[in-house]
Amino acid sequence: MTTPTSVRERAVPAPAGRRPERGARWRRVGLRLVALAVLLALWQLVIVLQLWSPVLVPSPAAVWRALLETSGTHDGVRGYQGHTLIEHLGISLRRIFIGAGAGVVAGLVVGVLMGTLPWVRVVLEPAVAFLRTLPPLAYFSLLIIWFGIDEAPKLWLLAIAAMPPVAVATASAVASAPTALVEAARAIGAGRGQVVTSVVLPSALPEILIGVRLAFGIAYSSVVAAETVNGLPGIGGLIRDAQRYNQSDTVILGLFAIGISGLLIDAGLRVLSDRLAPWRRHA
Amino acid sequence: MPSLPDTDKAPDTAKVPRQRHSAPVVSVRDVEHTYGGGRGTESVTALGPVSLEIPAGEFLVLVGPSGCGKSTLLRLIAGFERASSGEVEVFGEQPEPGSQAGIVFQQPRLFPWRTVGDNVGLALKYAGVPRAERAGRTAELLERVGLADTSGRRIWQISGGQQQRVAIARALAGGKRLLLLDEPFAALDALTRERLQEDLRTVSAETGTTSVFVTHSVDEAVFLGTRTVVLSARPGRVALDIPIGLPRTGTGPDELRGLPEYAALRAEIGTAVRDAAR
Repeated sequence: MTTPTSVRERAVPAPAGRRPERGARWRRVGLRLVALAVLLALWQLVIVLQLWSPVLVPSPAAVWRALLETSGTHDGVRGYQGHTLIEHLGISLRRIFIGAGAGVVAGLVVGVLMGTLPWVRVVLEPAVAFLRTLPPLAYFSLLIIWFGIDEAPKLWLLAIAAMPPVAVATASAVASAPTALVEAARAIGAGRGQVVTSVVLPSALPEILIGVRLAFGIAYSSVVAAETVNGLPGIGGLIRDAQRYNQSDTVILGLFAIGISGLLIDAGLRVLSDRLAPWRRHA
Repeated sequence: MPSLPDTDKAPDTAKVPRQRHSAPVVSVRDVEHTYGGGRGTESVTALGPVSLEIPAGEFLVLVGPSGCGKSTLLRLIAGFERASSGEVEVFGEQPEPGSQAGIVFQQPRLFPWRTVGDNVGLALKYAGVPRAERAGRTAELLERVGLADTSGRRIWQISGGQQQRVAIARALAGGKRLLLLDEPFAALDALTRERLQEDLRTVSAETGTTSVFVTHSVDEAVFLGTRTVVLSARPGRVALDIPIGLPRTGTGPDELRGLPEYAALRAEIGTAVRDAAR
């Protein structure tokens, strides 16, 4: 059985490469660096003009000193309260990954069930929506009563905060799986479960990953709240503790640490979702 | 060589009088199909009543104006929908998607998260082909549709015509003895469409797979079919049922289109479609 004709149909040309965008990209990076420099200069100007007391607004140099002090051992004191800045951050990140990770997995399971079984959706949708409206700090008190003040309530808080966005994104993506592809799968003999694994989940993946990014964002904003109670070591605990001693330089340092690591994690998740779902950009 | 028709595995005495010397692959009896009719909506009869028998080895082309229910009829034969009334049987069974027929849709409907080869491989997997044989069979199928070297490509890296070829390979993967095609070339440009028509005609003549092909193109009907059925405008009924007695092999496309019989069939079917649209 030979094929009659050679294939002369040309493949679709690769999407216009990023070459022309490259210059624009570097210009954007440059512009951002300039903006950052201007911001730092303004900050320094405020210090030089002595508009506010340095206790309220520490100088960039003071924050830099705080970074150096909390990054090593000075006068026999290791870092901040016995832990370096990186260690504080690492402990918080660990809480985020374990807590929010568990929440993401739970959200996936709940979302798939909600998206595939209508009665589960009817039962769980209000509960998930209710949970989503609650500020994490509101149920933190209850978690402390239940689980004490150590790791458990913090992990639970992050898990509960991360679950709803993933569940909602997964449920909507799973429920709106493209009928055309579901039919195509049935046409090649896929059973119910096989339709879920071969079409529903892969087609939902990009939306699920957006839910995961959202979940990590919420977990990030909740971790500082979680660490207000017995949070040392931890970056939120560090901020909270420094606040009690009016160490605004250390507080600002903690904010930078959280902000920068948060941006890095979000960028990582974005790269991951491009890797896992490359077809999204070619739809 | 046309494959032999399926012999009824479980002879049903009630159906014996209907059986002729060879059971048809597809039999459609007094089928009507109605959409809607829920609360506050008026129901629309899209099709019927229609009766048709498609014997083994036939390449039946369903033609008709848009909205005549030809795609509906194909979906009933595929088993995606159940007829509102009447009976559809394929190989003597109630049709079920993925069990009796290979299906090609108007859009390729390939899975973008899989490579070209893996799209075909998945169909082989669901058809029960052992893992060890899949790679070889995938290569064979892709070669048969003229895409020997595209197995590792991504769906968005091949053209629309190539995607439709992959869709045909995927439909053939199940090894079914019936192929259902719903306007598979309608969305392609004219050149690509002609090439795919020629290839399908050749593959079909070689394998003798029973096929039902839906189109609104009269030329496509004459060129591809061994029989053409024209459906009238909604609700679709059989307006013309005519055999296409053109040579299946040994005649090039231009030569074929130059035959006087070709022109006569085109004219007759064209008139029937125009009348049906009124």
